[in-house]
Amino acid sequence: MAALGRLAICLALLFAAYATGVSILGAIRRRRHLVRSGTHAAYAVFALVVVAVAILLHALVEHDFSLEYVAAYSSSTLPLRYTVAALWGGQKGSLLFWVFMLTLFTTIVQLQNRERNRELMPWVTATLMTIAAFFLGLLTFVTDPFERLPIPAREGADLNPLLQNYWMTIHPPSLYTGYVSASVPFAFAIAALAAGRLGDQWIRSVRRWALFSWFFLTLGNLFGARWAYEVLGWGGYWAWDPVENAAFMPWLVSTAYLHSVMIQEKKDMLRVWNMVLVLLTFSLTIFGTFLTRSGVISSVHSFTQSGLGPFFIGFLLVVLVVSGGLVVYRLPELRTPATVESFLSREAAFLFNNLILVGIAFAVFWGTVFPVVSEWVRGVKITVGPPFFNRVNAPLGVALLFLAGVGPVIAWRRASPPNLWRAFAGPVAAGVVAAAALAVAGVPLGYAHSTFALGVFVLGTIVQEFWRGMRARQAMLHESPGRALSRLVGKNRRRYGGYIIHVGVVAVFVGVAASSVFRVEVQQTLAPGQEAAAGKFTLRYERVTKQDDPHMSRLAAVVSVWRDGKAVTTLTPEKRFYKKPQQPTTEVAMRATLTEDLYLVLGSYDEQSGLVTILAYVNPLVSWIWIGGVIMALGTTVAMWPTAAERRAPAYALGGVRVTAD
Amino acid sequence: MRAAALLSVALLLAAAPAALATTQQEVEESLTCQCGCGLTVHACNHLQCGSGEPMKKEISERLATGETKEAILDAFRARYGEKVLSSPTFHGFNWLAWVTPFAAVTLGALALALAIRRWGARAAGAPVAAAPTETDGALRERLARELAEFDAE
Repeated sequence: MAALGRLAICLALLFAAYATGVSILGAIRRRRHLVRSGTHAAYAVFALVVVAVAILLHALVEHDFSLEYVAAYSSSTLPLRYTVAALWGGQKGSLLFWVFMLTLFTTIVQLQNRERNRELMPWVTATLMTIAAFFLGLLTFVTDPFERLPIPAREGADLNPLLQNYWMTIHPPSLYTGYVSASVPFAFAIAALAAGRLGDQWIRSVRRWALFSWFFLTLGNLFGARWAYEVLGWGGYWAWDPVENAAFMPWLVSTAYLHSVMIQEKKDMLRVWNMVLVLLTFSLTIFGTFLTRSGVISSVHSFTQSGLGPFFIGFLLVVLVVSGGLVVYRLPELRTPATVESFLSREAAFLFNNLILVGIAFAVFWGTVFPVVSEWVRGVKITVGPPFFNRVNAPLGVALLFLAGVGPVIAWRRASPPNLWRAFAGPVAAGVVAAAALAVAGVPLGYAHSTFALGVFVLGTIVQEFWRGMRARQAMLHESPGRALSRLVGKNRRRYGGYIIHVGVVAVFVGVAASSVFRVEVQQTLAPGQEAAAGKFTLRYERVTKQDDPHMSRLAAVVSVWRDGKAVTTLTPEKRFYKKPQQPTTEVAMRATLTEDLYLVLGSYDEQSGLVTILAYVNPLVSWIWIGGVIMALGTTVAMWPTAAERRAPAYALGGVRVTAD
Repeated sequence: MRAAALLSVALLLAAAPAALATTQQEVEESLTCQCGCGLTVHACNHLQCGSGEPMKKEISERLATGETKEAILDAFRARYGEKVLSSPTFHGFNWLAWVTPFAAVTLGALALALAIRRWGARAAGAPVAAAPTETDGALRERLARELAEFDAE
């Protein structure tokens, strides 16, 4: 079976190389049969990769420990869901999973474009297949997922206990989906450049793909944050780890693109800029993979580390040179006369929004690579940790939040004083009132205060937009309020979906600001029956409980939580000991509410004295980060949902993710 | 330019929440745990951590004797090297770490402002007939798109 898997990968590599070559040839010579042959070869690549994935999954589920990968990342006692997730738990499997996603998306793109984009498609196929060939090449020549052990292992080493968590089943797939689907806009951009079709066509074709990729990058980042929060047990959710940064940077640039592309659609300017953003987003996904795999920069994600760094940096260089070269080559045709009449215009607000987003991406990039730069230049190792990123990004983030209130409502071209008054009087008043009220309530001036007040301002602009649109429909079409609202959103999905996303963004900002600035931490060593105070809560350590099974042993401290003399809940923070990898982990216990999370970690337990050390964190408003994520997902779904016309005629669903052809 | 960037950095950093007295937490957050967790000494939650725990203890002892934050950080730096500090210092080459992001954004903002002024002047100075041509282009495109839509239905 394993030999078959390896054969499938080798064949897939051959087909991918063939698909690339024949597609380019077909495009240059304008031969349809060659192009079609390339498309069919790409389908074959997908089919072969599916076979390889199925074989590796089968080996995992059947505990075939003669395979190095299965023995390294699973065990016979590992629960099934994690056994399946072990597919992306290690280096080799995750690369195979990556190719699987890539070829799946390639297939969807080809089905969507059977009758469209004839000029672009051969180049799109060639680009996507080149990327696939790179990954398949790694799997064939460098890191074979079907490698056999000289002597089959009796038992597997098991999946890293930190990965044996619910989020393992959804965080990596989300992030990979976001990463890999960024290849589709990239492929269309390269195709547009190569074919010299630089108009709106490629932009419209990838509209949904760009949003789709952004959607999953958003989810992937938030799931990762949630995972870190639940598992790592240091009370936070974001540590500016290089690999977190690697996932955050493409998200930022992709966000910039989703905004600036609106200006191109409206005014046919910024062609070069948008092209650069798409190319950069993809390059950052490869850079991120390089960071994760190379070990050049130390990271909590080092479990995927390997010697693949040079290959990724090489591939990244090729990507940068080819895309940069193509952009320069097409520069004369890409340039369009730009007009921005005034600083007080939506165009200007969007441009500054782009500046800040790309600025934050640059700051993150700079902080991530600076230790390496320092070592090169001075020969001294330094650390660029969370304090740096927080300090540098906080002011930029506040500026961004401000622009999120300005951009969507300021007039195109030039905002007149009456227009400004009409758009901003209400929201600014709301923001000012909120700022004053917060100050009176004792919130100290600073980033958190500005974030809350600006959040109210942004919400004010959004509520006003919904309200005015709804009232207009009610007045003109005599619709009921509910119907007016749903029609309003239904007729302008991108616009109102975008507003909903902004509501989510505000929630995330508020959650991050509150939990960063107003966090309470307590560390106490307690004997049974003893109490400790944590913020408004009183914690009483009752006893410990122990459990033991073949997979792990668990030790839990039972802590009753009191507030104002009333019992609130009982929490049981745990320490676990995983037997196969012989590794201890901590299991956080949490009581999450809309106002704050009480977060307990069991530090240590002394068998003889019965003393435990409990770490308690009171993190205000953290829940709003996750709620904000849900709102953002909802908004993106609204923005991506096909219109009635698109649903009736899926062939027209430009770049849509739906593939139903009948 | 450099002065402007420096000023903006200074202003922005001044706006960051300032602690009144040196606290244990503040010092712990300025140091990186050496256990390989990549977190600050404060955030490292390995309670029996061979690196973080002794460091926390030492910080509290030194604070108790009235040592300043700088003196404590210097002592750790002398022992572990500069990598023990959780963020770059404000001196020498490290200064670039702090300034570059703000300098880049400031430069970008200036370039953008100049470009908008130029584009604005062009829009204002352009002959009146020029504007409708563009609109025509957009209209034509919209017409083509809507016809395509109509065909597709």
